[in-house]
Formats: sequence, C-alpha cells, structure tokens
Amino acid sequence: MYPIWEVPNLSAGIILGIIATFHILPSHLSVSAMWFNLYVETKAYRENRPEYLEFIKKYTLLLLVFAYVLGSLSGVGIWYSATVANPRGLSGLIHNYVWGWAAEWVFFIVEVIGIFVYYYTLNKVDIKTHLKIGWIFAIASWITMIIITGILSFMLSPGKWPQTGNFFDGFFNQTYWSQLSVRTTVMFGIGAGYAIAVSARLKNDDVRKLIVKTASRWGIAGLFLGALAVQWYLKTLPENAHGLLGSVVPKGLKTGMVVSFGAMILYFVYAHIKPLAIRIVPAILAIAVLFVGIWSAERVREIIRKPYVISHYMYSNQIIGSDVRSKGVKAEADLINERGILKIAPFVPSGLRDINEGNKLQAGKMIAIIECSSCHVLDENGLRSLPKMMKRLGFKDAEVVEGFLDALAGFPYMPPFHGTAAEKKALAAYLVSFNK
Amino acid sequence: MDVGTMIKTLQDPMGIPFYPILFQVLMILTFSLHIMFVNFVIGASFLTLYGYIKGSTYWKDLSRSMARATTASASMAILLGVAPLLFVQVIYDVFWYASNMLSAAWVIGFILILMTAYSLTYIFYLKRDSKGNSFAIFGIIAFALFIFAGVIMHALGYQLLQPAKWLDWYVRGDTADTSGVSLHAFQLSRFLHFIVPSFAMTGILLMLYAWYFKDRNDKDKEYLQWVGKMGANMAFVFTAIQAAAGLWWLLSLPSKFRFFLDPFFLISAGLGIVLLVYLYSARKDPVRYAVPGILLAFLTILGMSYARESLRMKYLGRFDYSIFNYKLNLDYGSTFLFLSTFAVGLVIAGYLLAVAYKSGKAAGEYVSTPSMNRWGKVSIALLLIWIAIVAGLGIVISIKNYL
Repeated sequence: MYPIWEVPNLSAGIILGIIATFHILPSHLSVSAMWFNLYVETKAYRENRPEYLEFIKKYTLLLLVFAYVLGSLSGVGIWYSATVANPRGLSGLIHNYVWGWAAEWVFFIVEVIGIFVYYYTLNKVDIKTHLKIGWIFAIASWITMIIITGILSFMLSPGKWPQTGNFFDGFFNQTYWSQLSVRTTVMFGIGAGYAIAVSARLKNDDVRKLIVKTASRWGIAGLFLGALAVQWYLKTLPENAHGLLGSVVPKGLKTGMVVSFGAMILYFVYAHIKPLAIRIVPAILAIAVLFVGIWSAERVREIIRKPYVISHYMYSNQIIGSDVRSKGVKAEADLINERGILKIAPFVPSGLRDINEGNKLQAGKMIAIIECSSCHVLDENGLRSLPKMMKRLGFKDAEVVEGFLDALAGFPYMPPFHGTAAEKKALAAYLVSFNK
Repeated sequence: MDVGTMIKTLQDPMGIPFYPILFQVLMILTFSLHIMFVNFVIGASFLTLYGYIKGSTYWKDLSRSMARATTASASMAILLGVAPLLFVQVIYDVFWYASNMLSAAWVIGFILILMTAYSLTYIFYLKRDSKGNSFAIFGIIAFALFIFAGVIMHALGYQLLQPAKWLDWYVRGDTADTSGVSLHAFQLSRFLHFIVPSFAMTGILLMLYAWYFKDRNDKDKEYLQWVGKMGANMAFVFTAIQAAAGLWWLLSLPSKFRFFLDPFFLISAGLGIVLLVYLYSARKDPVRYAVPGILLAFLTILGMSYARESLRMKYLGRFDYSIFNYKLNLDYGSTFLFLSTFAVGLVIAGYLLAVAYKSGKAAGEYVSTPSMNRWGKVSIALLLIWIAIVAGLGIVISIKNYL
C-alpha cells in the first residue's frame, strides 16, 4: 500500500473524475470529427465545390487546438490523477495491459502527426493526398477506441481473465463488443454536434446549410443506433452490475442520459428543418447537453463496477481480493486479517503499528485513511463524509459499529473490512468518536 | 520494516509480460525523444519571447516561427512523454508511485501548469501582432511555467531514487501527512543538466531551419543565414555550458558509485565531447552541418539517458533492487501485438512526415509522385489489415469463451 493522498472535502477519486470528465469533450471530438471532414472534403472534391473547404479548415483547427492541446494534456492528466487516486489499481492494469496501451500510443503518434499535417497541408498538397491523410487519421483514431474499450471494459467485466490471466481473454470480455458499438455509434452523434457549432461561424450560407443538414442527419442516426447499442450493452452486463444499476445508481444519472438523448434528437430535427437558425451559443449549449448524457453514462459505468477497481481482482481501496493463480497472485485478505493492515502496510507511523489504549483513535484513523478514504472523506463535509454518515446512522456504541463493519461484506458495493480484531476495534472507536 | 522489504511489499504481484530489458530499452529510447522535444519547447518559447521583445524585423520573423515551433513541439513532447511514463510504471512501479504519492498535489499541479502554459503560448502566438508589447507577459508566464513544470518532474524523478527517506517525508510523529503538498528533493546540478541543453538543442533546431528553407526562393537568404549562424553559436556555447553542468553533477554524486568509470557514462561523455567539437566547426557553415548535427545531438541525448539509467540502477541497487529480477509472466501474444503495431506505426508516421517535408519544400502546391501515392495506399491498407487481424482474433476468442 502506497502513501495516500487526501483532498480536503473531495477525494483523489473526485479529482480523477473531474479530469476524466473534461477529457470526454476533446477525446470524443478527436475520434469523430475526421469522419465528417472526410465526407465533406470528398464532396467538395467530387462536386468541385472548393468553398466547402472553409468548413474543413475551421473544423480541423478546432480539432487541432481543442483535441490535441487540451485533449492530449487531459489524457495524460487522467494517468496522473489515476496514479495519485489509486496507484495499485493503475499498476495492476498496466502490468497486464502495458502492450495494449503502448500499441494505442503508436496510434496517438500517427494521430498527432496526422492532424498537424492535415491542417497545414490543406490546399498545399493535391486533394487525393490530402484525403489519404484524412483517412489515416480517421482510422487511426478509431483504432485508439478499439484498444481503450478493451481495457475499460476489462475493469468492469474481466471475462475469462481471472482463470487464464491471458491478455486477450480479458480484453475481449463479455461487454467488449457491445461497449465498442455504443462508443462507435454515439461518436457520430458527437461529431455532428461539434460540426454544427463550427458551422455557425461560416460566412457562406449555402455551405452552412449543407453542413448543418448533413450533420443533423448524422446526429440522429448516431444517437438512435447508439440507443440500440446501449440496449445490447445492458444485456451483456454481469449480474452484480445489473443489481447495482437497479439499486445504487442515482436516478439523476439515468434521467441525465434519457433527457440528454431526447433533447439532442429534438435539436437535430430542428436543425435539419431550420439549418440557418442555429447560432453559436445554442450550438455550444447543445454540446453541453450531449456532454451531460455522456457524463452520466460514464459515471454509471464507474458506479456499477463497485466494490472493485478491477472487477474480481482488486477492491476500490486497493486491496487484492481474489487469487489470480495463472499469474501467481494471492489475495491479501487472509494475510491482512491475520497480521493486520497496520503491520503490513509500509507507510504507517511506527507508533501506530501496535495498537494500545493510548493510540487507538489515531490507529483507527490511519486504518480509515488506508481502507476507506478512496471513497469517503474523513472531513465533516464532502464526498460521502464518514462523520456525516456516522451521525446519520447514530452509532454511539463501538461494538455496534464492529457489527456494522462485519456486515460490510454483505453490501453489494462495499469491500469487506480487512484487518485484525484489534484493528476493527480501533476503527470502530474512531468512527464512534464522531458522535461523541 | 527495512527498505528492501518495503520495496518487495510494494512491487506489483502481477509481474511483467516480457523481459525487462525490452521495457528498459523502449523507456530510454522514448524518453530521449521526449526530452529532445521538451528541450525544443523551452528553448523555442524563450526565443519567441526574446525575439518579440527585441522587435527588429529578423527577430520578429524568427519569433513568429518559434511560436509555432513551441506549440508543435509541446504537442510532440506530451505525446512522446506518454511512452516513458508507461514503461517507468512497468519496471520502476514502486519508485514512481511512491514518489508521486508523496507529492500528489504537485502531480496534479503539473497538468494544470502545463495546460495553462500551453494555452498562454497559443494566445501569445495568435494575438501577438496586436499593438504594443503588452502580450509579452503571456510569453513570460508561459516560459516560467514550462520551467516550473520541469522542476516538478525533476523532483519526482529525484525523490524516486531515495526510498530510505520516503517514510520520513510521509510521517510526522504519529500522523501521516496525506496532503501531498511538498516537493521533497531537488538537486540543482541535475536539474540544470536537463534545462541547459534546451538552448543547445534549439540552436541546432535553428540550423535545421536554415537548412530546410535554403532552396525556397520565397525566403530571404540573408535572414536564413543569420538564423543559421546564430543557431550554431547558440548550440556551441550552450553545449559547453552543459559540459560544465554535467561535470558539476558528476562531482556531486556519491563517491562510492565511482560513476566516472561507468561505461555508459564514458560513452555518453565521449559523445558529448565529439558534439562540442563538431559544433565548434559548424559555426563556419551551419547549413551543411545541420542534419548530421541533430543526429549526433540525439545520439548524445540517447547516451546520456542510458547513463542516467545506469546511475538509477546504482542508486536503487543499494536496496537490492534490480529490474532484471522482476517476476516474469511472459505474454508473447500481446508483446507481438505491440511490436508489430510499432512497425506499422513507423511506416505510417513516415508517410505523414514525408508528405509534410515535401510539401514544405515546395513553394506552390505539392503533387504526390507515384511512389508517394503507393506509400499512402500501403499506410491505409496496413491500418485496415490491423483492424481485420485484431477483430478476427477478438471474434475467435469471443466465440471460444462465450458461445
């Protein structure tokens, strides 16, 4: 167990959430925009309409600056924040999927070089060459989705990996294809949303009409197919995730997805009927509405993974919950229950390794930092505040809290308590102290 | 708990999917490319600012080009930084994660600082032609932030080498300091060894600039000559300063390492001296020396990076840590996936760069030759074949596991 980072009132996990949420905006633009560009550029070439290129130039500049400046930085930001939120979880993923990520990185290189070359050579190379660069970019960026979906879906549903430890058994797991379908179809809807926003800045009304009408058709198709793919995805979810979807996932997130979907369909239909009526501000608002939908969906995906960070392997508090025999990995539960988390974790003040009456509360707090703080703040206010929860539950007796800690294993979204009897007593004493 | 046990406890139990040497080689190779572009960012953003303030015609033109170079280099630096960031977590997971956690707030700060610096650079680039010198402040802040981002990375890299101090940095009496707001270690000589080359490398970049545009009739010949000369002078002077910084660093290392006898150090120091002599001569004719110059400079960076890795092994060897003892869980399938993807990526990236190179050389529209067309088609085909193979594999595995 590494040192822990506590963020007052928030948690390191929320910092990861904020950065990852922001990253949704540029990353989805980067996989979707070029398909639309290719369509428009090919049309410009076939119908000899050079004026269409004004749109290409503007859309590509958005892609370049937004996706490859803020997007690549926030992408790296996800890594850094995942590091400080859950180093062992990230390490577990990397030690299995390093070559997957490395392969994805190769395509990032192609993308970044591709987008610079595409932008700066517009009108400077013959159109066939320029289109080739566009195709390379579009396919390469879709491949990054093919790869990252494997790793993301593995975290929720590791497939046969727990038995075999094989890279591809985990990668092509039971939710892989359905999730890839959702992302691929919705991608076109997202690209369309951005394209309409860019078109609001165009000077030529004919071009604007063409772009908005085409984009709105792409948007409607993408979102409808996406909705179908979501139905398939729900069918492929593991049983535990289904249970959490029904019980733990807040209603607001589900409403967020449905409302966003409905509003976007109406928006695209309206845009199709009155293409010149869409100005820049409503177009950006529409992207915000779309964002709410995507954000809700990604949050749901995170929540239904609980109590794990890597399903059936590591709990969200970084304790390894199950053996992976094929890799020679042993679960840590027995060892921690026998020897104590304060004994085996390297980063513990030496005065707290042995619990006595004098240090009991401090030891209890240290255990809470190690085992609880990844999801609960220890401050009075903030994310799933432990003091607040204890007050709400009204526990005044340490023995009752011990019973509560024993019962955690029965909750579908909570990791069980790990530690010795003395550690459980210390943690209970610390938790009860909030009510005194 | 002694330090050796602590390291063993922390190490990822999964093991690694291929022999550590491959991760090490890839880490150093990609790090060398990364740091070269980091050097370009720092040097070019300095020249952007300096040229803007100087204000003469030549300097203004150069400043504009350097602004563009800063943004493009920053994109490349970030991108190329991803790979060593990945590989360091494979073979030095314990050290990287512990160091990051001890300064966690700065790890996040690093990203925010870079985002700000990058955005300011873009604003400076796009708005600089407005009246007055008021936009200089954007350039100044951006440059300072880039340097500060370097300070953070340096601290993380240096803390990593000192596992015996970690617990003291984390624990205050009977409480743990979970705020992550401190940077715990800094070594000026080591830091300078990363920053000073920025100006040498950017000097070589200017030589390349003069070389690249030499055949373009729409470019001012005198201006190009001026750029090349200044670049060569800059490269030479700062390489000399770099040698001094390197010597200072060498002298400040623990003497029992006897690092001056380390073969990697000796090779890289030799390369550094050759580079210095070469740049001395290059001042006569920067254009002719430009291309071999950048190759030699990169080779020197590569050597230095390997020497630094050798130094890291000495630091961590004191705690019986060696990447070569890492538990192996060989996975040939995914290793092959990466290596073949890498080869495919080289062909495609090569095509894109070739188009950029050729179109930049042409004053008007560049029309692809048949061989370039073929290269483009092969690139697209390779991408489609990649998808076909991976999807095919996925379908076979899905049928086998779930039907």
